[in-house]
Amino acid sequence: MFGQGSFPWLFGHEIRLLWRGSLLVRSRRYVLVPVLAVGLVFQGIALLIAGAIARHPLPAPELILVANLNLFFFGVLMLSRAMTAAIEVLYSRGDVDFLLASPIPPGQVLAVRMIGVGLSVAAPWLLLGGALANAMAARGQFWALAIYPMLLALALFTAALAFALVVVLVGAVGPAVARRIAHLMALLMGVLIFALGQAPRFVAPQVMGRFWQAMMPAVGARGLQWIPGEAVLGRLEPLATCLAFACVVFGVVWITLDKKFAAGSISAAAHRPSGPPPRRDGQFRASAAAALFIQNLRVLARFPGVVTQTVYRSLTLVPVLMILGGRINIGAGPQVVAPLLVFLTGQLALFFISVMVGGDQAPELTASAPVAVTTLDRTRLGAAVYATLLIMALPLLGVAFRQNEVLPVMLAGMAGVLLSNLIIGLRLPIPLIRAQFGKAQTGTVLGLVLGVAVSSVWALLVWLAVTPDALGWLLPHR
Amino acid sequence: MTPALVARGVSKSFGRPVIGGVDLTIAPGEFFALLGPNGAGKTTTLRMIAGLLRPDTGSISVFGVDVLRDTLNAKRLMAWLPDEPLLYDRLTPMEYLEFVAGLWRVEPALARSRAEDLLARLGLWPHRHERCEGFSRGMKQKTVLAGALIHEPKFLLLDEPFTGLDAASARLVKEMLQARAADGAAVLLTTHILDVAERLATRIGILSGGTILAEGDLTALRARAGVNDATLEDVFLHLTRV
Repeated sequence: MFGQGSFPWLFGHEIRLLWRGSLLVRSRRYVLVPVLAVGLVFQGIALLIAGAIARHPLPAPELILVANLNLFFFGVLMLSRAMTAAIEVLYSRGDVDFLLASPIPPGQVLAVRMIGVGLSVAAPWLLLGGALANAMAARGQFWALAIYPMLLALALFTAALAFALVVVLVGAVGPAVARRIAHLMALLMGVLIFALGQAPRFVAPQVMGRFWQAMMPAVGARGLQWIPGEAVLGRLEPLATCLAFACVVFGVVWITLDKKFAAGSISAAAHRPSGPPPRRDGQFRASAAAALFIQNLRVLARFPGVVTQTVYRSLTLVPVLMILGGRINIGAGPQVVAPLLVFLTGQLALFFISVMVGGDQAPELTASAPVAVTTLDRTRLGAAVYATLLIMALPLLGVAFRQNEVLPVMLAGMAGVLLSNLIIGLRLPIPLIRAQFGKAQTGTVLGLVLGVAVSSVWALLVWLAVTPDALGWLLPHR
Repeated sequence: MTPALVARGVSKSFGRPVIGGVDLTIAPGEFFALLGPNGAGKTTTLRMIAGLLRPDTGSISVFGVDVLRDTLNAKRLMAWLPDEPLLYDRLTPMEYLEFVAGLWRVEPALARSRAEDLLARLGLWPHRHERCEGFSRGMKQKTVLAGALIHEPKFLLLDEPFTGLDAASARLVKEMLQARAADGAAVLLTTHILDVAERLATRIGILSGGTILAEGDLTALRARAGVNDATLEDVFLHLTRV
């Protein structure tokens, strides 16, 4: 369709790679059906939310503040994702040298990479924000459709910023630390969103009210900081300003990096770590099981983003520990704590085993060794159980001291969810490892969906077991 | 003396036949080079011998151990080196060797001394604390070669072992492999570098279209091809010409 070597042709190639690397296509084909079903559910929920918004319209300053805050959250999360994506396309994917060796202008390759990263980080937010915008438009509020160009502008801006930051960071500290910084940024934003969500539980309503009042723009305020919020609300002039600003930033970054990229100085090979690496002598063991167990723990510990992803999954522990510590009271403690911990156990186990299965870069090495397949599976299961219990030890002790009456049921639930999710993860690991250039992808969304479903079922069973008269509300009032 | 390898009537198909009735015998201490054009089935043959792929028909035994029935004990005797280095990017060479030694249950003190010796000989000692992700192709190849040698296998299956090695490293690896063969280990390697095969191998097999076309030392191959005083390259091209 497009001339070979042209910008659109190269862009088409990039989009094809991104599409084939996306979560949906990396997974087994039949997972598209449940994913579409979930999408329809999302759209249904968005219709309900749009109805609620229409019934309770907010004043303009509040709307602008909400829009601005959301854009800020989206922006930081997009930036974090764009940074890891930029590290991948510049340093990890392995096809940069291949493309640079071709007669395609390097600037074209870089521009396509930057736009591709922008689109890939925008996609999930376009789907989420788009569901609400569609629902609002269906109710006649067409201004809501402005979220589409606004998210694209934000993605273009964050992609450019991410490339600039990545080049500076990788030059200074190397790809591994730069990746860690990107993950940390997402983690901090996740914690901030979580903390803001929980704030009304701990902060007096008057203090919260004063805080939001101070954040609110004055009626008729024309400050620069409110332009993005006004753009989301569909006002044409701010929207055009945001789009132009994003394009200018993108252009400036592209022009700045173009020469360095063409000279080959933006590459993993160009980075030389300063100082000697830490000593890692290894501990030789005469047991295949011990060697495999340690190897699995190493694969897990050195998996990029393991800390961030573990902390994300473990945010549930914050309210749990607060309930156990008597700081907050949500319902009756055990009814909340036990199911939450069971659910978290399942999610952690699924994540850990998926990293071990998906992160094994040399499965044929172990296949060629005199080790039974069952030993390999058992050591993976053992290492995943060990890592899960390491994190669950503290809350378990808390339950043992504070709510020991639920301990047997909870332990049974934890054992059940561990076993179920480890088996799921072993056979259907969740997609965590992006395929390297020319390598096949491991992982499936089906594993993710099944793992969440099974964790929920075990959590529900534990909730039913620890809650007296749990199903009483279903019966007619006596 | 028990042969290092006896393969009889080994065949394999992936929808279409890839290997058709291969017979191969290798003696201990022998250095056997398996040559063949691209797609001849060399890698598939090696993978079947290594116990990674089950043949559709035939039998394979390594030092008298049936690879198909007693796979684990057969694997204990072998080291398999694939054409692409199987390496964990986030491990250091020392940690990689520790892992491989553990898989083959080498006594820890012995494994450590062998690892240190191999890393020093292969020029990897200064890089022993660095993760393999930053290694060049040649360094990765030397690391996996060290892994193949750390458990002192009696039978080495090497798929293109010299890929990525510089001249000095290639010479060193050849010497190390010859030393293993002199100690009674058998070596079966595939290579496209015919000079290597000509100089190193005691016997050469030429595989094409999934069958062994010719087998023996260079003199026997010349006789089979009907070309006297020809180089191995000439013999190879003559035999594999369609």
